[in-house]
Amino acid sequence: MNAENRIALLAAPGLLYLAALYALPLALLLTESLRDAEGALSLAAYVEFFADPFNRGVLWRTLRVAALTTLLALALAYPTALALSRARGWAQTAILVAMVLPLSVGVIVKAFAWSILFRANGAINGALMGLGVIDAPIRMLFTETALIIGAANVFLPFMVLPIYAVMRQLSPALPEAAATLGAGPFFRFFRVTLPLTLPGVIAGAAFTFSLSVSMYVIPSLIVGERQQTLSMLIARSFLFLRDEQLGATISAILLLIAIAVVLGSSWLAARVTGGRP
Amino acid sequence: MTETTIKGVTRRRLLKTTAFAGAGLLAAPSILRAADNEIVIGCAGSHTAWMEAVVAPHMKATLGADILFEGTKSTVNLEKMASNRDAPYLSVVQMDDPVMIIAVEEGLLTPATPELVPNMVDLRPDAVHMDGMWCNYVQPWAGVAYNTDFLPGGVPNWNALWAPEAKEKLIIPGLRNTEGMWTLFMAAHLATGKPMAEAQYEIDAAFDKLAQLKPNVLTTYSVMSQAFNLLEQGEITMLSGNFSSYALPRKAQGVPVDLAAPAEGIFAMPSGICLVKGGPNPELAAAYVNEMLGPELQAAVAEFSASVPANTTVKAGAIIPEGVPIHAPDWAFVSKNRADWIDRFDKLMAA
Repeated sequence: MNAENRIALLAAPGLLYLAALYALPLALLLTESLRDAEGALSLAAYVEFFADPFNRGVLWRTLRVAALTTLLALALAYPTALALSRARGWAQTAILVAMVLPLSVGVIVKAFAWSILFRANGAINGALMGLGVIDAPIRMLFTETALIIGAANVFLPFMVLPIYAVMRQLSPALPEAAATLGAGPFFRFFRVTLPLTLPGVIAGAAFTFSLSVSMYVIPSLIVGERQQTLSMLIARSFLFLRDEQLGATISAILLLIAIAVVLGSSWLAARVTGGRP
Repeated sequence: MTETTIKGVTRRRLLKTTAFAGAGLLAAPSILRAADNEIVIGCAGSHTAWMEAVVAPHMKATLGADILFEGTKSTVNLEKMASNRDAPYLSVVQMDDPVMIIAVEEGLLTPATPELVPNMVDLRPDAVHMDGMWCNYVQPWAGVAYNTDFLPGGVPNWNALWAPEAKEKLIIPGLRNTEGMWTLFMAAHLATGKPMAEAQYEIDAAFDKLAQLKPNVLTTYSVMSQAFNLLEQGEITMLSGNFSSYALPRKAQGVPVDLAAPAEGIFAMPSGICLVKGGPNPELAAAYVNEMLGPELQAAVAEFSASVPANTTVKAGAIIPEGVPIHAPDWAFVSKNRADWIDRFDKLMAA
């Protein structure tokens, strides 16, 4: 065995760990979802799942919320990452700390904090009424908008950091060169900065979408059970309906979405970079 | 051959460290194995306050036992028992009667007998079920919790839940929670006009009546604490199906809430305790159940949780509201149909 192969063996414990605790259970779930009542291979569970308009509604809501959360997080994260890459000294440290520190706070705490802010007598309604924007409190708690705002906040660091990682490698000489050739700020941004930072955007979007599509605690606390998501349906199937096949089927669908996100983002990143690492 | 090193860490040292780490990992099960004086109890999340304040210190003082609680819903406790059937880690579970019935049917429980649990002989006869498979230990009563700042006149009847002024001011428990059944059964009673004993079987009528409740329902819950917090803050004015062991202690703490006993009736919460079949430390588990049913702990828990004790020698706990009927449903009917009802309820209430 040559030196390179021996070093590759260092990955073995991690791979074994993932195989035993992640891949194997997922394979068992997949198998469970592909059996009929007699134990024969069948797609009946999937047909049944998609035949139910309630399930289709939950699937559509899950994808819609994940997509909108990703878009909102991107809109907030890109300028933040840009500022972070340009900042120096204490300003950079402050932004980084502001990004990373919230990761140490549990997601339950953050979701619960948002549920307090969204109340009729919460800070957001109070501020809007104080500014004269609204005359009476508007209902925000248990709405999809509230969920998207709360989720985007929780997942924001996962969007900012990949974009920042790419931006900090971007040579300042490139936009400067464009400027010397007469390019205005908008042209420089859309034709130089943005295309070169797209790999970070794709990675951040893949992270955020994957986390949003599978979130459980945040929707449970902010929108409740009248607007269920796929993860909530999985818990409901296993714990309350005690329907393991339904739970396995929904888990497999969620897994397929995750795989599609990973493959799609990899393909997109390869196209954007032209195959460069 | 050269020795591969990473900043001074030799291959030999790395292998040795890995071997020790592996040995430690393999030894972990015996290290983590429950001690003889330790048992794990499954209970309701809403019971955590008095389990920590009253039960745990009592068990330490009388049995020298360390009690670990897992507070969650009855259906989740059932799933934990079923999933760990071959190697149970729970010794005792405290959950609701309809879920107990399923646990008995699935062979997950072992009966308590007066030999194992001597305090059983002092229980009300109706508190012992299916030849001792489980016993009711305390029984809170359930009605409608309300915010006294917003509803100073209380909730005189269950129809108040359907009133137009309650639009988006009501939270009801989902049917995953046993207390969710109260709104369902009362809907059947209001829709059919039949006595509760008959109305409880009119489930189609109940769901039709629940459909009319949707404009008033801000949300449904399976975790009660958040819903109760919204009631305390005035975000909602009524919380249906709530019970004395949760609402009345909060009222006593000065929070602007109270528990109404509407004219159509209140319900007896079916809080049961059982021994898990094949659970760890069976003798300690039986001693735990015996203490839970004994006069000292019965009085303390009933007083703390504003509940009715099951031990007939104890005079303490909640005062049952007078002048309103107390309903106790057919739990066998509930446990047989519950999964279908949960599915139907979730689809009906989906926004």
